[in-house]
Amino acid sequence: MMPQESLVSPPRLAAWLIDLFTPNEQTESILGDLLEEFSGLASKSGPASASRGYWRQSAKTIVHLVGLGFRVAPWSIVGAVLVAYLLLVFGASLPEEVIVRLIHFRRHHVTPYYNQTQLATYVLWFSTSILIGRLLMSLIIGCLVALAAKGREMAATMMLGLFSGASVGVFLLVGVLKRPQNPYLLPFLFDQFAHSIAIVVGGIVIRESRSSMSRRTSGRLKRI
Amino acid sequence: MSSRDYLGEFEHIVILALLRLVDRAYGVTVRQEIEVRTGREVSIGAIYATLDRLEAKGYVRSQFGEPTPERGGRSKRFFHVTAKGMLALNRTHRAVQRMTQCLDLVGSYT
Repeated sequence: MMPQESLVSPPRLAAWLIDLFTPNEQTESILGDLLEEFSGLASKSGPASASRGYWRQSAKTIVHLVGLGFRVAPWSIVGAVLVAYLLLVFGASLPEEVIVRLIHFRRHHVTPYYNQTQLATYVLWFSTSILIGRLLMSLIIGCLVALAAKGREMAATMMLGLFSGASVGVFLLVGVLKRPQNPYLLPFLFDQFAHSIAIVVGGIVIRESRSSMSRRTSGRLKRI
Repeated sequence: MSSRDYLGEFEHIVILALLRLVDRAYGVTVRQEIEVRTGREVSIGAIYATLDRLEAKGYVRSQFGEPTPERGGRSKRFFHVTAKGMLALNRTHRAVQRMTQCLDLVGSYT
């Protein structure tokens, strides 16, 4: 029969979050240490207690590492976030402009609709493509920030997401105070929330690709 | 390095933990040693951040051990205090001793 500790594994989500927030050179040591403590605790107090301990340690470690990122390189993070925020503000209409230009180009060659149903489909396609275009733009900007803030990808993209969300929050508050019954406020809020998420996803994409490159390199070095 | 380079409070504690643990000092044992001796619960991230800072200053050096199955095939990173680290530790101790000379700390605050 296998020992109990080998049957249980630490919470995957917590381990993934640690991997995301930890600098590459520390990932192996920190994940190894947490797993060792988890196994010890699981055999002593049971898997539930070990999982709670793992989550507690992971949360404290992530908070510490994010704080450290800001203390060690505050200006590089703030600089990257500010440039990206300006890109977000001034480039917000870029996806719409590209899509409208494409449609205008098509209109000279093909009429996009002939009846009411086709018009409804066209409007739906038009609004959806603008939404997707803007989300893609947020994702790309998130990737650019993460590329600029090497080793602190998550701290930088989360800061940009929060900053962007907070500025929209102020805008919304003013909007609600001026016109409380505005029907567009809630969809706008969801739209902006999706953009903040897309920015952070951009950070995750870059961070994950850097982690996998680092794992491949260290695997190759170990084989040598 | 300037002769005024003193260890920070947590750096001081971490270096003392490394000295106590001799050749079994890695993340888990350092964290446990600090927790047992000071009653202070610290995260593994805080330990590594401090150890990396100390390594950058040349006060400690690290080396990876063999990968072990209980760590999911990951290696332990062992830490040792360097001669430069010992000098910084002594300098900090002397400064604390000089500052506490003639002070009845135990009598005043217990």
